[in-house]
Amino acid sequence: MRKRIPNIAGAILLLFLLAFPLIYGRPDYDYIMHIMITGFFYAILAASWSMLTGYAGQFSFGHMGFMAIGAYTTGLLCHYIYLSPEPTGICWERGFFDQYLIVVNPIGVTSTTLTQDCLRQAMEVWDGTVKVTKMPVLLGIILGTLMGALAGFLVGMLVLRLRAAYLALFTLGFSEILKAAISAEIEITRGQAGLELPPLYPEGVTLFGHYFGPTAKLPPYYTMLALLLLCLGILAWLARSKFGLFVRALREDQDAAAALGVNITRYKVLVFTITCSMAAAAGAVQGHYVQIITPNMLFLLQMSLVVAMAVIGGLENFVAAAIGAIFLQVMLELLRNSFVIGGIEVDMTIWRLVFFGILLMVTLRFFRNGLIAPLISHFRRSGIAEETIAKRKIDAGGAGS
Amino acid sequence: MNINLFGRSLLVSASILALSGGIAQAADCPIKIGGMAPLSAPGTVVGGEAMRDAMLIAEEDINAAGGVLGCDIDVVIGDTEGLPEKGTALMEKFITQDGVAAVGGGYHSSVGVAAKDVADARGVPVVFAETWNDTITGDKQKYVFRIAPLSSWASSTIWKHALEIPDVEKVVILTENTDYGIPAAEETTKGLESGGREVVTFSVDIGTQDYAGIVQRIKAENPDMIIVLATGEAGYNFQQQASDAGIGSQDIIFHAGQVSLESKAYWENVPDGLYAFVQRIGVPENLFTDEGKAFAAKYKERTGKAAVESYAMEAYDSIAIIAQAINEAGSTDGDAMVSALEAIEHNGTLGKIYFPYGSGKDPSEDGRGDEWWHQWPDVALTVIQYQEEGENSGEATIVWPDAYKTGDAIYVNQ
Amino acid sequence: MEFPALFWGIVGWMIVWAVAGSIITRRRYLSRDLDTSNANFIGAMAGASLGPIGIAAIWAKTPQTSGHLSVGLGLLTVLIVAVTFSFADPENICVTSGSFVASQFVNGLIIGIIYGFMALGLSLIFSILGVVSFAHGEFYMIGGMMVYFITAVWLPGINPLVGVLGACFVAFATGAIFERLMLTPMYHGKIDRPVEYGILATFGLAFTLQYFVQALAGANPVKAKRFVTFPRWSWPEWADPAWIKTRGGSLTLFDQVSISSPRLTAAATCILVLLSLLYLLNRTWTGKALRAVSQDREAAAIAGINPDRMNMLAFALGGMIAALAGALLVQAFSWLPQVGAIPAMRSFVIVVLGGLGSLPGAFVGGIMVGLVEAAGTGCVPDAQKAASYIPAYGMIVLTLTLLLRPTGMFGRRFASSTHGQH
Repeated sequence: MRKRIPNIAGAILLLFLLAFPLIYGRPDYDYIMHIMITGFFYAILAASWSMLTGYAGQFSFGHMGFMAIGAYTTGLLCHYIYLSPEPTGICWERGFFDQYLIVVNPIGVTSTTLTQDCLRQAMEVWDGTVKVTKMPVLLGIILGTLMGALAGFLVGMLVLRLRAAYLALFTLGFSEILKAAISAEIEITRGQAGLELPPLYPEGVTLFGHYFGPTAKLPPYYTMLALLLLCLGILAWLARSKFGLFVRALREDQDAAAALGVNITRYKVLVFTITCSMAAAAGAVQGHYVQIITPNMLFLLQMSLVVAMAVIGGLENFVAAAIGAIFLQVMLELLRNSFVIGGIEVDMTIWRLVFFGILLMVTLRFFRNGLIAPLISHFRRSGIAEETIAKRKIDAGGAGS
Repeated sequence: MNINLFGRSLLVSASILALSGGIAQAADCPIKIGGMAPLSAPGTVVGGEAMRDAMLIAEEDINAAGGVLGCDIDVVIGDTEGLPEKGTALMEKFITQDGVAAVGGGYHSSVGVAAKDVADARGVPVVFAETWNDTITGDKQKYVFRIAPLSSWASSTIWKHALEIPDVEKVVILTENTDYGIPAAEETTKGLESGGREVVTFSVDIGTQDYAGIVQRIKAENPDMIIVLATGEAGYNFQQQASDAGIGSQDIIFHAGQVSLESKAYWENVPDGLYAFVQRIGVPENLFTDEGKAFAAKYKERTGKAAVESYAMEAYDSIAIIAQAINEAGSTDGDAMVSALEAIEHNGTLGKIYFPYGSGKDPSEDGRGDEWWHQWPDVALTVIQYQEEGENSGEATIVWPDAYKTGDAIYVNQ
Repeated sequence: MEFPALFWGIVGWMIVWAVAGSIITRRRYLSRDLDTSNANFIGAMAGASLGPIGIAAIWAKTPQTSGHLSVGLGLLTVLIVAVTFSFADPENICVTSGSFVASQFVNGLIIGIIYGFMALGLSLIFSILGVVSFAHGEFYMIGGMMVYFITAVWLPGINPLVGVLGACFVAFATGAIFERLMLTPMYHGKIDRPVEYGILATFGLAFTLQYFVQALAGANPVKAKRFVTFPRWSWPEWADPAWIKTRGGSLTLFDQVSISSPRLTAAATCILVLLSLLYLLNRTWTGKALRAVSQDREAAAIAGINPDRMNMLAFALGGMIAALAGALLVQAFSWLPQVGAIPAMRSFVIVVLGGLGSLPGAFVGGIMVGLVEAAGTGCVPDAQKAASYIPAYGMIVLTLTLLLRPTGMFGRRFASSTHGQH
């Protein structure tokens, strides 16, 4: 019975998360929802990273890079690509079925609103007579995910021969180059000013007869939660299948695995592709949710947050990593308020990060499997010893008779 | 039974949700006002901390004078981290969790541009203190006001002053690659080229520390003047390294970055920074209004700084003007406050603050661009020059424009 | 750029053949059961420099490729790119102005020496513990902060040497304590994957240190006074040496190359400390013990060396070297709690380029990275973008090195499998 406790607890947690936006009614509703959505976002990153690092042993520091690829792919597509029934005559355009595919010219960062791109100029001339179609958000997110998968595939191919420290440095380098390029190509990406994205549901959605506007928090909450559950589901399915066995073999001893006939190339590339596409999907959805993305998403601090969340949750258990991420994200937000001890004001804006770092180190040193994963396995494993003994007795008895 | 209970609570909560579609107004005391400032990296923490101190002084002053509507005010400080996405989250927190009546402060333009839409959508007035990007007011949003100068207008101070300096033919601009630096560089370039000067722009990443390569490249361009459009320590690092290479402020005409106004840090970080020109917002300290003098005294005492930064004064005024607007509106209702702000005449530390253009009068009626919407038009922009080592920016010689001039500029190229 | 098509065309051609050469040569080596660690690099360089002919030659002479040949081909590749560039962009200042090139070279060299020195600490830690310390940048930051606080806040006006020594002491102690508290479990097989553990532990240290310092010291940029101010020499007319001029903060050679005092003193100190470090490693018992542990832990333990003690010494010493670099550069750069990130990244680039765990490699790698960055900032034609990409130049070198020759220039295989070596 005790073995069931993690499952029951998980079910209760899941029910709670599903019902939370409906039962929570305080005035700070939107803010709390925002924290939760961001928590789910980090949970996807931490879970997929723990699959890549904890299960497959591929120590990557470039996870935020793939996340940014997803976000920027959909961001740039939504920003630059339109469909119009009439040619503008000033943009780059091609016939596309019976419409025109229009690629808007980049105008970069300008401080006056007077400078406009070619499509806006054309639309001013049309004066509302022509209906221009925007890139559908869902298509952008799918393309972003695919682009993340492609990047993961390529990086996976490139790092086949790299292990441990070398892999960590390579992926760090990848992420830094990406960051520098996004910051420098201001004309296209708008650099530090941030690229603006349409909201997740530009027209709003109607659920059970209740209309939610584009800025309402409930639809993105369930979207991000669904994405998290989908990712966890895929990861769980993978971990139980042959795939999980092989990638763990990859982690324990690559050469031995290869000698035993595991196609290490295939599994290494596959695990990179899958986990990176998850990061990209999370990035794309989050980008549409916050509606602005900047190269600072690739700031090393962001990656350290994901790493710390996964480690504190439990590096080798992606469910624990996800729970750890949600928990820590909520704590980090709520601990922002400063307090006073003995007349000295402790500015929690900074100190919370110090405590976070200390927690990371203590967890690493004394709770090697994280803080949440051991709880799960404690209940899972309890009784295993007795069961095994009982089994053996039966087996021995059976053999004797 | 269980299911029944759950179902009922679902219904109840759904109806609560439906009812609480709007935001609870802060009808109770104390009246809360949000204060945005970058307090951790990658934001410009120096600026953020100065603004935080100023806004807290504003809170004390207003409460000492009896508060507003019979209530004390409570300035809730929030950290934007200089990130647009954190800015929108913070604005959401201010409005939904803290229930603020209005928001003041704001440093990074990109944060302001992102956060203003949240506030405008929710009908909470914002008075931006130090966000220069023209878009902020250029979108003509009902709830968005600004007392900082416009970027295009601030740039014009720099290039108009530069055009008056004798023997300057070629100018190099060093800018940070952000939405503050790039537009400012473009506008400055346009202005200088209209006066027949040759301009070359170099843009750098904000985190750069070692400028040796770029300095050599600039030196090879052989400019007569260098203009730095970088915030934060990038401005210090570049200027000192340029001095070391022989193209510092003691060798050629040098317009230093905004951060150089913080004189104590300036002289520590740029020991060879004599004769640099710096743009300064607001009149010199001896021409301060009474409010300005009182604030300056308090601020210096509290922070131990030798001079008051312009962004601290702007931050103070942004809170004070909100308090006055609440008083005049008689409520913390957003629309009433906007009406009060559009009609306000506030005696602030920077001077008499008012917003001539808004729903009553469109900027185009005076032939001005959209960016003048809800914009204070009388910010005094001056150029000062450090003429003695260790000089305080508040006492440094004002060399431009003639209306505020306290001394002649020293041109090191003469 | 005047003829971008020419430049990108030739570079594209070189990249295509480099990729082909790298793959073909690796296949060839594998099919012959040869050690492939050098195959990618030499194949890529042969393809890039000589195209199909080069690949064919390498193919034909497969077993007899030497280190000299790969260096030669590498240099040839760089030369071809440089010549192509000078034809494609004849107006570029890198092509037209010799004095500009000289000053960029000198500056790149000087900063390269300092960063190479800093990377040496990282390499030392790696060679003994097998861990890439992600806290290296934070030790650098602490070094600078300590010098500032000692010489400007706590004991104003004191000799900067006291500050530098104080910084070294604090960094050494921090490193030693951290190693004892956090890293000891990874030596005795108590942890499944010690390399990852080490990276995560140092990562946690970096995180904690950075925000701890920010919480205590605030986020105002600070800077120490320069240690040495050059005297303004005045010479009689006939003896005035035309080649050297000094002013307070810098000296100018041949009227063209100016070197600032902080950089010169930092580079000179780095070289001095490097020499004494070499003496320590090669001539003293402790140094020999350190090197012995880096080569073979078990054998060293049998010979009576306590490897654990050497671990502590190496980590503390490595951190101290980074702190010393910071202590010397705080007079050149404005200092903030986040200041360590960029030099840390640069150190990673350098140690990978030089070969993880190789001390001379770190130093040579440092100089190379300094020169690459100087070339990047100096020669990229678009003035707007040249400096924006500064953080990327080194990282491009890093990723290329890892792809072509993961062992770096001076890399070697490690006896212990804990090094995560390929």
